[in-house]
Amino acid sequence: MKQRVEPLLSVRDLNFKFTLRGQVLHALRDISLDVYPGESLAIVGESGSGKSVFVKCLMGLNDQNGYVESGSIEYGGKELTLLKTDADWKSIRGSRIAMVLQDPMTSLNPLKTIGWQIREAVELHQNLKGAEAQKAVYEILEEVGISDPQRRAKQYPHEFSGGMRQRVVIAIAMACRPEILICDEPTTALDVTIQAQILKLIHQMQEKYNLTTIYITHDLGVVANVADRIAVMYAGEIVEVGTSDEIFYDPRHPYTWALLSSLPQLGMKGQPLYSIEGTPPNLFREVKGDAFAPRNPRALKIDFVKRPPMFAVSPTHCARTWLLDPRAPKVEPPEHILALRERGRDLVEKAAAGGMAATGAAGSLTEEELPPNADWPVPGNEPDGLARETTGPFGEIPDRRAGGSGAKAADTQAVGEKKGGDR
Amino acid sequence: MAKYITKRVLHAIFTLLIVICIVFVLLRQMPIEGYFNNIDKLTEAQVQAGLTRLGLTRPLPVQIFNYLKQVLLEGNLGTSNKFREGYSIAKIVASKAPISIKLGLISLGVSLVAGMSLGILMARSTRTKWKAWDKFGTVFIVVIQAVPSAVYHLLIQLYGSDLLGVSMLFKESDLKTWILPIFSLSIGSIAYYAMWLRRYMVDEANKDYIRLARAKGVPSGRISRNHVFRNAVVPLVQYLPNSILLTLVGSLYVESLYSIPGMGGLLIQVIKLQDNTMVQALVLIYSAISVLGLLLGDIAMALADPRISFVKKEGAR
Repeated sequence: MKQRVEPLLSVRDLNFKFTLRGQVLHALRDISLDVYPGESLAIVGESGSGKSVFVKCLMGLNDQNGYVESGSIEYGGKELTLLKTDADWKSIRGSRIAMVLQDPMTSLNPLKTIGWQIREAVELHQNLKGAEAQKAVYEILEEVGISDPQRRAKQYPHEFSGGMRQRVVIAIAMACRPEILICDEPTTALDVTIQAQILKLIHQMQEKYNLTTIYITHDLGVVANVADRIAVMYAGEIVEVGTSDEIFYDPRHPYTWALLSSLPQLGMKGQPLYSIEGTPPNLFREVKGDAFAPRNPRALKIDFVKRPPMFAVSPTHCARTWLLDPRAPKVEPPEHILALRERGRDLVEKAAAGGMAATGAAGSLTEEELPPNADWPVPGNEPDGLARETTGPFGEIPDRRAGGSGAKAADTQAVGEKKGGDR
Repeated sequence: MAKYITKRVLHAIFTLLIVICIVFVLLRQMPIEGYFNNIDKLTEAQVQAGLTRLGLTRPLPVQIFNYLKQVLLEGNLGTSNKFREGYSIAKIVASKAPISIKLGLISLGVSLVAGMSLGILMARSTRTKWKAWDKFGTVFIVVIQAVPSAVYHLLIQLYGSDLLGVSMLFKESDLKTWILPIFSLSIGSIAYYAMWLRRYMVDEANKDYIRLARAKGVPSGRISRNHVFRNAVVPLVQYLPNSILLTLVGSLYVESLYSIPGMGGLLIQVIKLQDNTMVQALVLIYSAISVLGLLLGDIAMALADPRISFVKKEGAR
C-alpha cells in the first residue's frame, strides 16, 4: 500500500441547490473532492459551472436561498454542512479559510482606509490591539509588496491601482492567518502584465505560510502555472480530476478536450480560435445522462441516457465519462488534442523555465503520496469485464441529432441494469 | 478642502445674485398696485410720489443695485405694503418662523429616527425567510406615497384628536396639541427615509466588499454597522442640511389644518395680496435657504465620502 496523506478537507457527494422564484436550481451535483495539505488545487470550468458556488459552500457564503441537500464537507474534524448561522461559521471564515475575490475594484470598502480594513482582520484573527495591530498592518502591507506602508495604510481604495488593490485584498486574507486560501479568479479582472505578479505573490504567500490554495478560474493558462492538481467542473459536477500533468497531457473527458482546445495560447496562427458550441444545460431541469453530451460531437448513445460514474484512470486521475468504460469503443480525442498534448507540454515547460510558479514544482505532492480514489471503479476491475462494444448503447453516433432520439432505444436500459453497481 | 468650499460658496453667492435679479425684474412687471395698500384712493401725484420714495422711478439696473445694497449691506428686507402695512418684513418672518422651525425640526428628528429604523429593519429582513418587516414597510411606503397627503392629514386630525383626547387646534402652550401636527409632518418623510435607506442598504449588502468582509470573518452585526449602514447613509447625508433649513418654510396644509401661526402658506398669501416687496423678500429667503442647503449638502457629502475629490472636478454624482 502506498503511503497515504490525509486530506485536509474532504467533500463527499455534495449536492447543493438554490430555490429561485419557486424553482429549484441544482447547482452542485454529487461533488466529491479531497484537498490535501500544502497543495495548489485549481477548479476550472466555464461560467455557471458551479465553481464559485462550490467554494462558497466551504465558507458558508452562498446566498440565503441556497441549501445543502445531501453530502458532507469534512474539515478539521468538523462537518461544515451542519453549520448554519454566521456564528457557527465563526471558527472557519477568515480563521481557517480566507478568500481573495475576483474583482479588486469592488472588493474593498470604498469609504474605509485600507489600513482600517486590514486591521479589522488583524484584530479579529490575531488577537492584537492598538499599536501592535497597527504594526502588524504595516508588516503585512510590506509583505505583499506595498512600499511606504505607513503612508499607504492611510489611503482609501480609490487611490490604489487594480493590481495594488488585489495586493491589499491578499494582505487582508493573509492577516487572517488562514490554513486554506481560496482565490476566486484572482487575476481575471487584472491587466495581463499584473496577473503574473499577483500569481507570484500568492505563490510566495503559500510557501511562506504553508498555505493550501484553491484557485477558481476559467483561464487554463493560469492553471498551468500554479496548480498541482486540477478539477474540471461542468454543469455543477466534477467531470475530471487529476494532477496538472494528467489533465494537460492526458485528458480523458470530452469536455476537458474541448476546454483545452479553446486555449488561445494553443491556437494556430491564422486559424480561427476554437470555441465550444452550444451552452451548458439548464440546471433548473434535471440533467439526463452526461451533461456535456449535447455539445459533444463524439457523444455515445449512452451519454444521452445514463449518467456516467467516475472512472479512475490512475490513482490520482479520474473522469466522469462513459469513454472510460471497458465496453466503450476506443474514441481518440480529436487530432488536434493529440497535437495539443505535445504543444501543451512545451507551454508548461516554457512557463517553468520562465521562473513562474511551475507545475509539479518541488515540494508539491507527488503521485506516490496521493491516495488512490478507492471509491471509484478502476477500469479493468469491472466485475463483468465485458469486451468493448462497438454497437448497442455504447455505439458511437454518426449523427448526433439522430443519436439523441435513437438513444432512447430500449436496449440502453439493459446496460443500465447490468451496471447497476455504479452510482 | 478650503479651496473647494470657497469655490462652492462663491458659486452659491453668484446663484443667489442671479435669483434676486430675476425675481426683482419679474416683480417689476407686476401692476404697481402691489406697492400700495389703497391705490384707489390715491391721486396720480400721490402714486408718483410714492414710487419715487420707493426708488422705483429710476432705471431698472439702478433699482436692482440699490435693492442688493439694501439687502446685503443693511440686511434690510424692506417693509410690507399690504399684508401688514408698514411692518418690517424681517419682523413678520421672525414672529412666524420659530414655530414652523420648531415643529419642523422635531418632526425631522422623529422621521429620521423612525424612518431609518424602519429602513434598517426592512433591509435586514430581506435576508430572512418571511421578510415580514420588508413587506410591512413596503405596504406602508406605498400607501403613504400613493394616498394624497391631504387624506391622511385629515384622518390623523380626525381620529388622532379623538384617540388622544386633545383639541383639534394647535396651542403652543399645550404640548399635547403638538403631537398630531408633528406626526402628520413626519409620516411622509418616514416613508421617504425608510424607502431610500432600505434601497441603499440592500444595494450595499450585495456588494463584493461585504462578501469579502464576511469571508474575513467579520461578525454580521459589525458588518451591518460598519460597512452596510455607514456606506448606505452617505447618499442620504446630502439632503439632510436642506431638510433642516427647509423646516423654516413650514407646511401649508398641516399648519392651516391645526391653525398654527407659522410660515406655511405665507408666500401664497402675499402673492394673492399682491404685496410685491414681501413676495420679493420671501422668494429671496427661500432661495437663499435652498442654495445654502445644497451647498451644505455637498460639503457634508464630501466629508462623508473620501472618493469625492476636493482638488479636481469629478462627475461623481
